[in-house]
Amino acid sequence: MTATPHETTSASRTAGIPFLLKTACINALIALVLFSLMVGIRTEAGSDGQLTYWTRFGDLASLVAAVFGGSIVIELLRQWIGPTGAEKLVPPAVQRGASFVGRYLAPALLIFTLLVPVIFYNQRYILDLAILVLTYVMLGWGLNVVVGLAGLLDLGYVAFYAVGAYSYGLLATNFGWSFWICLPLAGILAAFWGVLLGFPVLRLRGDYLAIVTLAFGEIIRLVIINWQDLTGGPNGVSGIPRPSFFGIPLDNSDDGLAAKLGIEYSPTHRIVFLFYLILALALLTNWVTIRLRRLPIGRAWEALREDEVACRALGINTTTTKLTAFATGAMFGGFAGAFFATRQGFISPESFTFQESALVLAIVVLGGMGSQLGVALAALAMIGGFELFRSLETYRMLVFGMAMVLIMIWRPRGIIGHRAPTVYLTKAQAISSDLVKEGHG
Amino acid sequence: MTSATPLLAIRSLRAAYGKIEALKGVDVEINPGEIVALIGANGAGKSTLMMTIFGKPRARSGQILYEGRDITGVPTHQIAHLRIAQSPEGRRIFPRMSVAENLQMGADATACTDAEREATLERVFTLFPRLKERYAQRGGTLSGGEQQMLAIGRALMSRPRLLLLDEPSLGLAPLIARQIFDAIRTLNRQDGLTVLIVEQNANHALKLAHRGYVMVNGLITLAGTGAELLQRPEIRAAYLEGGRHG
Repeated sequence: MTATPHETTSASRTAGIPFLLKTACINALIALVLFSLMVGIRTEAGSDGQLTYWTRFGDLASLVAAVFGGSIVIELLRQWIGPTGAEKLVPPAVQRGASFVGRYLAPALLIFTLLVPVIFYNQRYILDLAILVLTYVMLGWGLNVVVGLAGLLDLGYVAFYAVGAYSYGLLATNFGWSFWICLPLAGILAAFWGVLLGFPVLRLRGDYLAIVTLAFGEIIRLVIINWQDLTGGPNGVSGIPRPSFFGIPLDNSDDGLAAKLGIEYSPTHRIVFLFYLILALALLTNWVTIRLRRLPIGRAWEALREDEVACRALGINTTTTKLTAFATGAMFGGFAGAFFATRQGFISPESFTFQESALVLAIVVLGGMGSQLGVALAALAMIGGFELFRSLETYRMLVFGMAMVLIMIWRPRGIIGHRAPTVYLTKAQAISSDLVKEGHG
Repeated sequence: MTSATPLLAIRSLRAAYGKIEALKGVDVEINPGEIVALIGANGAGKSTLMMTIFGKPRARSGQILYEGRDITGVPTHQIAHLRIAQSPEGRRIFPRMSVAENLQMGADATACTDAEREATLERVFTLFPRLKERYAQRGGTLSGGEQQMLAIGRALMSRPRLLLLDEPSLGLAPLIARQIFDAIRTLNRQDGLTVLIVEQNANHALKLAHRGYVMVNGLITLAGTGAELLQRPEIRAAYLEGGRHG
């Protein structure tokens, strides 16, 4: 038994040219099938509206050749520096360095984030980008509860983001309620929708669950588009009030915050305020998640991800466990949505497409499911990276696709695949002293 | 048979998966302080009986009485609160969680004080010192035997009165299986734990058990003390000399 996996890995690692060619041929064939219609035949409406088409077999051939060559290169790379050989490649000194960095990375990042408005006070662009990144960090952390901890694949997370945004937008514009009253309401409403989604999908897992959540995300978006009386349909909701500093508006008026503090008004104040607001919300999400993980409910989420049958045998109510995971994740999505609405001042269904769900899910998966720091890093890399490559325009999606494929090849568990345990033997000293004895004797 | 009320009494229990009937009227009694073995071939319905006690699948008809109380309709997750614990077939530990977390999961379901929890943990570590050595390790990195110890330890953390063990020796080396059986005997003798053990390894199970039941095609065909059953020629032919023993 134990020898078999070893044999297979060594076999695949030393697999020679026939294996390479076979893989490459299969990939090239798939590319041929895919691209033959997409690239091979070009159709266009002619001058009289009739269909004209012409073939581009040269382009098709070069694409298939590129896939053929590329899959050989990737396969070779995988064999040389794939995950199986990782421990050999990384020298112990580097590993020690990495663990040192790992220990201080999170506090260092937090301190840096707190200082961002001070350092970049005059760079509006960077502040806006930082707010955007933090919004996605918060969304990632929220989705992490559902996907990373409870293991429920949710492709419709944007629905809760939308519910939160519209809750705040509509309550604020129709009733004039302040942001601080609407924020918890948005969270509660989103959590309610989370439970509503949770009920029909209780018995589903994996791909089936993914499909239903995907549909749920689309349903919410379509309802928003078509319920024109309430949501304004495709025109969205505009004139959403900006947040106030606990009742004191952040504007140029006489009772604005700047005037009260006796400092000169600057529009940057509002941006800085928004920055710290989303930072606080994100940190709240993080703190609550870390606390919950150490409580029985958080442990039950993780156990549910690992083995549902065992959970039931241990007396865990899988129904409430799943529903609380959905509700908690949705609540944070709702908070983020309310923040989004107040930051933009305008919301429309266009902001809540499947692409957003996919992006947040990609952040969670790339970061390492269940890892808080990993999700934050992935959000920074994805959203920051998008902006960084903005000049490349047409190629940036290509670059991102490649980066994601590469990360998944070399770090299949995400950037940070490590999971910190939540139960330690602390109280009974007898246990720890026994342990030392056993360890050395 | 003693005249005292049995801890668990199963009366003409029927259960099915869709149209396929897995239990066709099973009667089993387990008295307090007993080890009862349930043996039978693959697909006889042994594991189904275990799972039906936990309500998955639900019984079609018949009764499950625990301490004289009918628990046939009690929701699955509440059965663990009645201090019935199960170590499911194939161990089913939580692979990405640490050994300590796995054990804690067993204690989470039952309301017990910290002191009780510490005492139970200490007991589990005395039975399986290996688990103490590896308490910070991920469950999935343990060997098969250690995982079985963890599965039993996790079940014990809920301080059960009745422990259901489904194939504890499955896939284990004979020496490790013996350790597991020894631990079960210790639990029974020292802690007075009542055990229902499902096994294909009939020889071991019947030697360990006070009484045994033989199950064939969803029916109990034979019952008796462990020693009696071991002597029966049909048992010897079907389960002992047919290849599987040790």
